[in-house]
Order: sequence, then structure tokens, then C-alpha cells
Amino acid sequence: MTKPLQINPLKLSQPMGALLAFLGIKNTMPLMHGAQGCASFSKVFFTRHFNDPIAVQTTAVNDITAIVDGGDYSISEAVKNITKKVKPDLVGLFTTGLTETKGDDIKGAAYLLKDTQKMVYVHTPDFEGGLESGFAKAIEAIIEQLVEPQNNIDERKALLIPNVNMTPIEIEKLKEQISLFGFEPFALPDLSDSLDGHLGLKQGALSSGGISIEEIKKLAECALVISVGNSVEKCAQMMKEKNPSLTHLHFDSLGGLSNSDKFYKALLEFKHIDTPSPSIVRWRKRLQDALLDTHFAIGGANVIVALEPDQILSVVSTITEAGANVKTVISPTKSSALDTLTCKVIIGDFEDVENELEQNDLLISNFHGERLTKKHNKALMLRGFPNYEGLGYQLKNDFLYEGSTYLLFEIANILEHYKH
Amino acid sequence: MMVNKKQIKELLNESACSHNSEKKSSCDKPKPGATSGGCAFEGAQISLFPYADVIHLVHAPATCQGASWETRATKTSFSGIDNTPLGYCTDVSTNDIIFGGSQKLEDSISYIVKNKRPKAIFVYETCVTAMIGDDMDSLAKRLQEKYKTIIIVIHSPGFVGSKNLGSRLGGEAVLDQLIGTKEPKEIHPYGINLIGEYNVTGDMWQYSPILEKIGIKIISTLAGDGRLERIQQAHRAKLNVIVCAKSLITLCRKMEEKYGIPHVSVSFYGKRDTSNAIRTIVNAFNDKELSAKAEIIIKEEEEKLESKLVPFRKILENKKAILNTGGNKSWSIASALQDIGIEVVATSVRKATLEDIEIAKKYVPILMKVPANEQAKLIDEHGVDILLAGGRSLYTAIKKRVAFVDVNQEKKISYGAYNGLVNLASDVCNSVNNPVFKVVGTKAPWEKDND
Repeated sequence: MTKPLQINPLKLSQPMGALLAFLGIKNTMPLMHGAQGCASFSKVFFTRHFNDPIAVQTTAVNDITAIVDGGDYSISEAVKNITKKVKPDLVGLFTTGLTETKGDDIKGAAYLLKDTQKMVYVHTPDFEGGLESGFAKAIEAIIEQLVEPQNNIDERKALLIPNVNMTPIEIEKLKEQISLFGFEPFALPDLSDSLDGHLGLKQGALSSGGISIEEIKKLAECALVISVGNSVEKCAQMMKEKNPSLTHLHFDSLGGLSNSDKFYKALLEFKHIDTPSPSIVRWRKRLQDALLDTHFAIGGANVIVALEPDQILSVVSTITEAGANVKTVISPTKSSALDTLTCKVIIGDFEDVENELEQNDLLISNFHGERLTKKHNKALMLRGFPNYEGLGYQLKNDFLYEGSTYLLFEIANILEHYKH
Repeated sequence: MMVNKKQIKELLNESACSHNSEKKSSCDKPKPGATSGGCAFEGAQISLFPYADVIHLVHAPATCQGASWETRATKTSFSGIDNTPLGYCTDVSTNDIIFGGSQKLEDSISYIVKNKRPKAIFVYETCVTAMIGDDMDSLAKRLQEKYKTIIIVIHSPGFVGSKNLGSRLGGEAVLDQLIGTKEPKEIHPYGINLIGEYNVTGDMWQYSPILEKIGIKIISTLAGDGRLERIQQAHRAKLNVIVCAKSLITLCRKMEEKYGIPHVSVSFYGKRDTSNAIRTIVNAFNDKELSAKAEIIIKEEEEKLESKLVPFRKILENKKAILNTGGNKSWSIASALQDIGIEVVATSVRKATLEDIEIAKKYVPILMKVPANEQAKLIDEHGVDILLAGGRSLYTAIKKRVAFVDVNQEKKISYGAYNGLVNLASDVCNSVNNPVFKVVGTKAPWEKDND
């Protein structure tokens, strides 16, 4: 019989993904429509992960409003109470399993408030999808509800749509790479400006940075939209509906030499340039050297990867170039990102991870892998959500020539340390 | 919905709570858009998950357990598989919403029984499974008979209220379904139950050996380092000891009514409070010999503590602190700080109950109602050296160039009882001596002085 339950879940919920997306919009209050615990659990989770304050409020559905309210009472009360204290540019309203089971009309509730507070609403029940789809759905809602349709394009502007797994520094680095091709880059959402771990002047109650509402409105002017990760490909297609003349470039993964080559080749072609900036040329050479330096340690190492699908693909494409033997990947949800993988693919949990661990040297997973690798004396490389123990992970870059180089060195060092 | 309205109302209007003669401060309904803190499910999880020898199955979609498993450092001495940090979840999906989640719950329980063979399964009802109306009680009853395994249901959907209420619901479930279901081989004359002690970072183990040395026997706990069989025998204890938490007072009142077990309330933070806690417990037995023995051991322990504190006292002498935290921590940590020689200038009572405010008054001269506005001014006025607060106050400390200790951060080391106080002294000393707060507070070369 297939396992009816999750034992030590890898899966994270849709509303948590939506929360993270709204935190990359400037001066935003993410508003989770559910019981107070949904917001509280998610807030504590991301606060411990990022070591930074997380803005979020709750509509605090209770046993009475759970039955008699169609959503508008608790949502309007929440917005009233939020705006008593702060003036958000945006309230990002997203649902949970509770309010979707009730069948609340959040579109109607947001419409009733349209004169008092700018809002984006999105359906993200936690009984379907996962972290990646929640993040993507919030981006889709933001595009749909805020981006103004355009006919003309501004050749200088480019938009990056990251997937939920990308760290703040990965988003920043990618924007920098795009700017090397003469663009003014934007990211939707932009966590590099909010959850990068910076000491601000004071701690506000709203998101501490990100892309502004005014910038979002004009995004359809962008000449180029770059989506990274299978989970957000559809978001970029929605941009195309806002302006059919923009160009969309999609990359399932930006990990490793070959994927990075594809990225730069596409940008060179788009810009009709022959050779890129000298730093790009240099980093490619460093990655080539890193691949050679690390292949003794990584080559033949048996690896199991338990992450969100887009991050699985990204990490696996990098380490297999140095000869890692990825035997099994474990993903919390189904995704076509995993279709190209030739190894064993399990949609599962950490019980599955433990069952597969014995035949492997190294596990790449979130913090929950720590107890398992200690118990079975295996090496661990921490990636993904949550990371409660390690510090500075918002500044870990695994992408393109530079990030892939760092990743290879890190994993080789972990393997060498583990062998001794 | 299986949630019992009458029970919830009763739990919220607990007659043993002093604040109910005036107003319901911490037990009111949460306000949309202005609420922080966990839900009833989290409260039930906190109070019952420390039972390491049973499996805790959460009947819920992804968020409830996915975001919260393996987050609390509640330690256990159980030698079998420790279920405390594990996450069992039915992961309710769209299909279950439409057709009901009972089948999935039954399959999950069957899977657990067959593959894990636990002594008992605790099943937690959450918002979504309460809304879709799964009849968990009759299912649990049927499967308990079928599998000859104890299955208890905790009705703890998050929307019924706060964390505090959830702890009460957890206590009720244990009282109704477990306590009194097993008889001990013999009845100990000085047997106690520790209620509301979750053994976070091993806090309980800082004082339980001292109690045992005096001759007190810990019959059961709710639920730090807890075991199923022990809580089943809790009705044969002679005294209930509520440790630093008011939420389980209803359970204690009911045990008093049902089994004639009196209860006392104590705190094990700081030297004075630890000594007083031991005295309160021992004196409840009204036994001169036992009390005399306790005094000897308290004296020994205090002397040992003082000698360990000597190196820290020099550093902490004349140091002033402000404490900005919530609930009983507003006075229990203040008391502990005073015991290591720090002058506590002010403490926050913003999130404290009326009871906690009354106690805090005895320890600290200034009670801050709006700490965000008051603490910066008080730092200047009193020449304060240390701010102990949650992360939100970090910038105040940096701006005022005083040492900062994050008291709300998940602690990794115990501050409980005598030995824990040495850990607290060491941590505070490290912060006071750390140049980091002054370094971080320096201006960038491009900033003007009046920036």
C-alpha cells in the first residue's frame, strides 16, 4: 500500500510560498487569511531561517467567523487594524486551507476595500500544491492585478522572475549579470533588497525592501523577461499577455557550466554582442578550473538530494558535471522540472530520505537532514528551507559560473572532511 | 464540528484565574490584523508533544506540521525512538476536503500501528479537519478496539483561540482520556506531578535530581521528559506542581475536585525562586523531617552556586539592565538577573497577565506598558548597561551602544534552577564584554555626525 501520510515532511505549504513572494515587494504587509496559527507558524519559520524580522499579519479567523463570515468581515477588520498603525503601499492577501474550505470570496473582499487600501489577492490553500506553487501563484496574481498592459517596450529594461528557492544574493547577482548586458534590471519579487540580512535604520512592521508598486506597474515595458525555474515559467508567460512584444527567455536551471553557457549565449544573441564583460569570461575560466580541482572528491560520490523540485534540478545539474553520482532525489511535490533526471525520483518525505540514506555518502537537504546524517554518519550539505542552525545562508550563491564554482568547492570540502 | 463550545467557554472563564474577577486579558478573541502568537493547535503541540513514547499524528494539510516539526528543544531521557521531534501528518489534500478526511486518517493510523507499533497515538484535530467534519472521536474509538492501541483525540483546531487555550485543551484531553487509567504498584507518600514543565533545553533536569535527593518522587509530568504510563498514574500523586505556566490551572483545579490533589504554583528561574519553589513543594506535605532535609540541601546548593558565580559577580557588579519580554518571563528572568547581582531598572508588562503584573511589581520598580517608547529614554536616564529583549529592540541597543541579549530567541542552553543561573550569568557576561554592539554602532565614513 502506498503510504497514506507524511512522516517528517519535506513539504512546505502554498501560503508560506505566497508570504515569501509578498516580502519582496516594498512597503508591503502580507496578510494571511486564516487562523492566527498559520501566520504565526510561518512567521517563526522564516524568522529563524533568515535570522531577520518577518512582516506578516493574520485575519485571525475564529470559531464564529469560521462559520458565519464569508471573509469580508475579518479581512476588512484586519485591513482597518493594520492601517491604524502603518501605511502599507500594498496588502498581499492570500488564503489558507481553512478559508478555502469555507470558500471565502477574497476577490469581493478586496474589491470592497479598493478605495481604502491597494491589495492583491491570491488563492493558496495548503491542501494543494506546495512552497513553489504558492510563490508562483502570488507572482501571477501580482502581474495580473498590478502590471499595466503596454504596447511599447523600453529596450533598457529587463525583468527577472526568480523561483522561491533562490537566495537574496542569488537574485542580486543575477540582476548584476543582466546589468552587464546594458539593462536596468528588476526582479519580481525582489528579496535581494529585503531579506538579504542588512541592518536597517529601524525595524518596521512592513517588508523592509523590494520592488516598488510604481516599478511593478510599468514592468510590461521591459524588453526582456527572464524566468528561472520551472515553477515560475507561467508567470513570465503572463507578462507576455501584458505586452506581446516583449521577449521571454526561460531557464529551468542556472547551475553548472552548460546551463550558464546557455544563459550567456541567449543574452549575447539578444543583444547582438560577440563577447561578454571580462568578469564573465574570467568566472567561466574559474569554474572550469574548479570542475577539475573538485572532480577527484566529487567524482563517484553517491549523493541523495531532498529539496524543492527547481532547486533539485539546479544543484543536480551542477554537481553531476563534476561526476557526482546522484542516485536518488526526493521532492515534496510533483514537477516537470524533474522529468529530465535519469536517477530515481521519489515524491516523498524524510522517512523516504532515511530509507535511501544508507547507500549514499552525502545528503543535500534542509536542516531536518542534520539529525538523520548524524544518526547514520553521513555527510550533509545544507540547502533549502528551513535552515535553523546555519548562519548567512541568505548570502549563499549557487548560480551561474561564479555560484557554481562556490558550490563545487563547498561540496568537495564537505566530502573530503567526511572521508577523513 | 467536534469542538465542544461549553468546554472552551469554561476553559476561558477559569475560576481559578485571578484576572477573571476583573477582565479577560490574555484569553480574549484574537483581533484580525493585530494579532501575534500561535493558535490553539500550537498550544496543544507544545503541551503534549514532549511525550516521547507515543506518536503524535496531526490531521491537517501542509502548514500546521510542515512548518513546525522539530522546532522545540524539549529533551527526553526515553531510550526508545524519541517521537518528540518527529512530524507525522495526514497531509490532507483537495480530495479529502471534498470526500472527507476520515478514510485518510484511518489509513494513516493503520499504517502507524503496523509499521511503528507505538504504545499510543495522539491524534490532533486542526482547522480544516474540524471544518470538513471528520468524526475523529468515533473513528479513534473503533480503531483503539481494533488495534488494542490507545488512541486519544485532541480537539485543537487553531481557530478556537490562542496557544494558551490550546495548552488547556491538551490538558483536558489528557485528563479525560489518560489520567486514572492505570494504577501504580505502590503509592509514594511524597509523589508529585510537574504540570506545564516541558523540559525545554533540559530545564527540568536542573532541579528534578534535587527534589529526588530530598525524597520527593516525580510521579508524572505534563509533559517534559514525559511517558504515557506515568501520566496514566498521575491521579495517585499527592501534589500538583504548576511550573511557571498558568495555562494548565484548569487541569489542576479539576484534579483537585476529582482526586483531591492540591496544587501549588512555582518558578525555577533564579536562586531565590528556586529555593522558594523547593520550599513550597516540600512544605505542602507538612512533614517536619522532610522540610528540615530540604533546608539542608537548599543551603548546600546555594553555597555551591555562590562559589560558581564568584568570577561572574565581579563583571556584573553595579551593572544595570532593562528587561523587555512577555508573560511570566517579565518577572522570572528579572528575579534571576537580580540573583546574579544585576540591578533590573525596568521590565515590560505589555504582554503580561494581571497576575504576572502583580508579581512583577514585587521585583522591579518600573513597569513599562509601552516599552518601545519607554526603554530608550530609561537607558539614558539610568545609565543602563544591558538590554534584554526580543529582536525588535536590537536597533535601540545599537543606537544607545549598550549590550543586547535576545531573550526571545530559541535558547540552546538551560537557564533553569541553580545550575542554569550559572549559564545565564555566563551568557550575560559574554554579551556585556562583547565589543560587537559598539563596533556595529559606529558611523560609516560617509555619514555626517548629524545623520
